[in-house]
Amino acid sequence: MQELLGRLTALDPEASEALKVVTYFDALVAAGVGLDALLRAAAALSGTVAGAERRGRVSRFDPSGKRCETTAGTCRSPERSGAHSRVWLERDGTLHANDEMVVERLALAVELLEAKRGRDGSLDLVLDHATPHGERTAALARLRINPGAQIRVIATRLEDRIEGAASTVVATRYGMLRATLDLTGQTPVGARAGLGTWTRADRAPESWEGAVVAQRLTSRADPVVDSTTLGAMLGLALSYDPEAPHPDVTALAQLDDRAREVLLALVECESMRAASTRLGMHHSSIQARHDALTRELGYDPRTPIGRMRYVAAALLLRLTVPLDPTD
Amino acid sequence: MTSSRPRPPFDPELSAVLAVLGDQLPDLTPETIRSFRAQAVNPMPLTEQLLGEHGVTRRDLAVPGFLGDDMLMTVLARADHIGSGPAIYHLHGGGMIAGDRLLGLAPMLPWIVEHDAVLVSVEYRLAPEFPDPYPVEDCYAGLLWIAANARQLGLDPDRIVVAGASAGGGLAAGIALLARDRGGPPLAGQLLLCPMLDDRDQSVSTEQYDTGTWVRAHNRVGWQALLGERRGTGTVSPYAAPARETDLTGLPPAFIDCGSAELFRDEAVGYASGLWAAGVQCELHVWAGGFHGFDLLAPHTAVSQAAIAARDSWVTRHLAT
Repeated sequence: MQELLGRLTALDPEASEALKVVTYFDALVAAGVGLDALLRAAAALSGTVAGAERRGRVSRFDPSGKRCETTAGTCRSPERSGAHSRVWLERDGTLHANDEMVVERLALAVELLEAKRGRDGSLDLVLDHATPHGERTAALARLRINPGAQIRVIATRLEDRIEGAASTVVATRYGMLRATLDLTGQTPVGARAGLGTWTRADRAPESWEGAVVAQRLTSRADPVVDSTTLGAMLGLALSYDPEAPHPDVTALAQLDDRAREVLLALVECESMRAASTRLGMHHSSIQARHDALTRELGYDPRTPIGRMRYVAAALLLRLTVPLDPTD
Repeated sequence: MTSSRPRPPFDPELSAVLAVLGDQLPDLTPETIRSFRAQAVNPMPLTEQLLGEHGVTRRDLAVPGFLGDDMLMTVLARADHIGSGPAIYHLHGGGMIAGDRLLGLAPMLPWIVEHDAVLVSVEYRLAPEFPDPYPVEDCYAGLLWIAANARQLGLDPDRIVVAGASAGGGLAAGIALLARDRGGPPLAGQLLLCPMLDDRDQSVSTEQYDTGTWVRAHNRVGWQALLGERRGTGTVSPYAAPARETDLTGLPPAFIDCGSAELFRDEAVGYASGLWAAGVQCELHVWAGGFHGFDLLAPHTAVSQAAIAARDSWVTRHLAT
């Protein structure tokens, strides 16, 4: 049985395997599947048996999606333990490149199943735009939060938990994200967090939307992004649909790394001379690149409006390109 | 472009597979047929290793196709095959415009092993270079050849089941009609997997599924390539588009399956109803939330396993000795 991941990669060699693993489990969780489907996914993705133990019950599935009945001679490697469950792959010998990633996403997904069981869903109602105001107020009351209280929502990756604050997991247009309610401004923020705007508790969905955008703009160099620092650009980012990228974004995405470096110098440098010094290129070559880029982009990136279009497109491109989960 | 009609959603496990594939499925327009052929990957390639694991050997032959032109044929049988076994005559899918004779064979290997069957798959010529009637006539020529050379192939000419998925399902239904009308070999069954039967582009399911793996725009490209200007008109032969046949009497017992969330749903269900009305035995399975080809692309999911088990059961009832 060929690994599903290999087959998916053959169909789409450009996206990273790690990203496919994350996308796949996110979609399963968002669709609300149960434990068996999660195990079938892990087994199919990795090409080996995947198992889980929950409250003393063991379930195992092979890569063809069939339930395994015998438990003889099984090795649990790699394995993850959660508060209520253990999950594992049964890889004999050396681990394959994505085994750890598959088990990690499986563990998160199984933990979410458990969490859902014990949760009343109040925070989900608070964060959902579609919740009528009265219901949101009632949900806030169950969380002992005054509707007029100032709050902000923090968006993090599923694996980045923030201790001591109400938290849930939400399906967003950018995949599954963890939402944590910040009431004090003192909530310790872990790695890679997007901070929503401060708002009244009964307008929490607005804060959450900003937090989701901000989380997408984090990077290793810039791990915490506060949506309020985006200013008017936040509105642009919120109204953007990454499924339907603007032509300016597509044009930028098609440039190679060197062309993007030249473009950035053209945008940022006061003069063409400064740009050619920064890039170590001859004045006439940079002029030629400038002309070529103007043609490819459909605008001149050195005019005031061209700079504006570039900055907007660069921001939206970061919302379009999926985050590399290994970064 | 999104359909405004309500429609059954995809099965949750299958929708996750689609989420990973995203918009990475190759684009298909009349202009991109060549690149579509190059990009369309067999999700389950028939490797030497896979054949070895099943103890199945492979032979490739050149046989006469339509008008006597050479055509390739692959014959799969158990390495220890003896005597005359039941036969599966397989026609591959690919929208009449793509695919090759090895596409879709991997899931059929267990049938060869369990029933000591001989599986024959033929490289019929593809549209638009070879429009109708080339594909269906190539397939029928192959059927006549294996019936005439049954002893050499180790198969029983009275126990041939024709089988195919998608375009291959349409071609299988087409040659079952041809065999009936031209007094060809009597067939033991027709296995029509999510078959492509109707060029008229008018069913509700056709309008519902402009999303998934094989979508309405693709389907139009396939039929247009096969039929050209005749597509959707009264001049289309029922051998090319079996849904057009008004007399379905005297056909072999059929197995038909499809997903509830694919554009071929209504033509598959309609063909089954037609067979029943004509007194032909037919087993129909419509799998909830299945997109086109779900069992081949995502065989590990619960709904695919149910589909595969149902198919295996029918094959066992029709091939077992």
